[in-house]
Amino acid sequence: MKINYSARTALVLIFLGAFILLSWKDKKDSNPLNDNTPLWDIFLALGEAKPSHYIENPDPEKIRLGKELVFHGRASLPEGGKSKYISKFYVCTDCHNQVQEDPFLPESNPDTRLDYAIKNDLRFLQASTFWGMANRESWYNEDYVKKYGALVEPAHKSLAESTQLCARECSSGRYLEQWELEAIMQYYWTIQVKLGDLPLSNQEKADLEKAWNKGTANKELVNLLRSKIMTYSPSTFVETHEKQAAQSLKGNPARGEELWQRSCLNCHREYGPSQLILDDSKQTMAKFKKRLGDGTDFDLYQILRHGTHAEPGHRQYMPLYPLERMSIQQIVDIQSFVESKLN
Amino acid sequence: MKINILFLLALWGSSVAAQNEVVSQTFRDTRVINGHSVETSPLGEMKFIISHRFGYINQGAYELFGFDQSTIRLGLDYGISDRLTVGIGRSSYQKTLDGFGKYRVLKQKKGGMPISLSAMSTINCNTLKWEVPERNNFFTSRLSYASQLIIAKKFSDSFSWQIMPTLVHLNLVPTSKDKHDIIAIGSATRYQISKTISLTTEYYFVITEQLAQGLRNSLAIGIDIETKGHVFQLHFSNSRGMIEKFFITDTRGRWEKAEISLGFNITRDFRLRGR
Repeated sequence: MKINYSARTALVLIFLGAFILLSWKDKKDSNPLNDNTPLWDIFLALGEAKPSHYIENPDPEKIRLGKELVFHGRASLPEGGKSKYISKFYVCTDCHNQVQEDPFLPESNPDTRLDYAIKNDLRFLQASTFWGMANRESWYNEDYVKKYGALVEPAHKSLAESTQLCARECSSGRYLEQWELEAIMQYYWTIQVKLGDLPLSNQEKADLEKAWNKGTANKELVNLLRSKIMTYSPSTFVETHEKQAAQSLKGNPARGEELWQRSCLNCHREYGPSQLILDDSKQTMAKFKKRLGDGTDFDLYQILRHGTHAEPGHRQYMPLYPLERMSIQQIVDIQSFVESKLN
Repeated sequence: MKINILFLLALWGSSVAAQNEVVSQTFRDTRVINGHSVETSPLGEMKFIISHRFGYINQGAYELFGFDQSTIRLGLDYGISDRLTVGIGRSSYQKTLDGFGKYRVLKQKKGGMPISLSAMSTINCNTLKWEVPERNNFFTSRLSYASQLIIAKKFSDSFSWQIMPTLVHLNLVPTSKDKHDIIAIGSATRYQISKTISLTTEYYFVITEQLAQGLRNSLAIGIDIETKGHVFQLHFSNSRGMIEKFFITDTRGRWEKAEISLGFNITRDFRLRGR
């Protein structure tokens, strides 16, 4: 059977068209919006600009390295051996949880955080969780400038710079090498807030799905999502006048014990990052009770609100608890726990 | 006496709480007074120890009650792991170098393992000039060894007790009648009187007829003052040596004659690597 030129051309075009149609996939169809969609995927789909810490192609090997650096302070290198410790004294996980720690994400509320910590058996720490760190827009905000001065300026608008500040200053360590920084950025990228972590109404979800499928910019929805997470790192350093405020509060020793276990003993345990080991013995409690209000490192108000400072020859120190990380009531609760152990 | 021993053994075997967590700070430092405690240094931590023993306090004001004489040991310990510590030191007493390894075999746990156990072994080298250089002297004559098990229990937040069966081996002894192997049993206690201050005792009983005439068992009492990164130990002892060879086999002081020395150990911890 002979096929003329026009028919052959038509057949070629049909095959070509079929090939294009079959091979073309809608990006959104291949990656539908669901509870596991990271927030930055949604922001980008809604027209937001890429952040400076955007990861184009997450690399499993770099993510592994980043995770090891965060958990152990050094990483097993692909070529063999281990990298140098970032800090001799601390690892990131000494002060930062790696999972969700607040039940209501837009708020940094220590009281609800403690309930959440008890429910989920989490530690109650001075610094923000790394979970969702990549979804923030600013870091080391508000009163952190009192502690770190001009060092916080570059950290405000850069997750990479704030990570360097943390590595060098907060952990009494060193600046990260480029590969280490990149690896940690990749790790952050994997522990973003996901859509399913946000309390959205059915209408909000429907609007979001519609915008996602269309792939059109929608600033209103971006702002809606941002209103449901913490977008910066708040810190209020409380001065000693809070002691007066605490006078009228009644302590809860049971909650104080939870704080003692989940905060104090996180570091002040045998083989922990602190050289000062604490326990719940009467001798320890008597020392805290005796020193209450005297402004020394055993004065609960003083130490929790001001921490200590690294000194030459003794680089370990205790980071302070800003108001967002421990409430006045919670300090009173710890005090009441201390007193209850002496009764 | 028997009742007391039975009571202590019963107390020893008792477990205190339901939780299975490691009991920490059985003693406040890696040394009780002269000898080792059950504790080891944490991974990556270097401990610098300066130890002094002055002369006997019964020497009166002319010797400033012993302050005019002193022996010193400078030591460095390092935690290879949380369980394994190694260390070196040098004593001015008989110009002796020493090295040791200590391994934490068992850790006491609340509601679990009732005791802590460490095994310690040390080698010492006397570096004095030969008394008779013309003689055919051997390097091995300079060496001595000690091996020790340290079995400890923290009975309460306030009170800990450890016993230390110890074997000291001397390659060279003064006379053919002297023993090369000497067995001793030590006992040490810690009583915590405040968060930072504790009282300590340490006694080494050498099983009879092993020591030459005039040598005695070592008895020391002291106080530990703990601060951040430091422990200051102040004590009285009838021994002037700070390693097992000296305080077990070469203690000469008599408590009843006030032949006791004031001494102190100061430790300073440095972190050399991450954990």
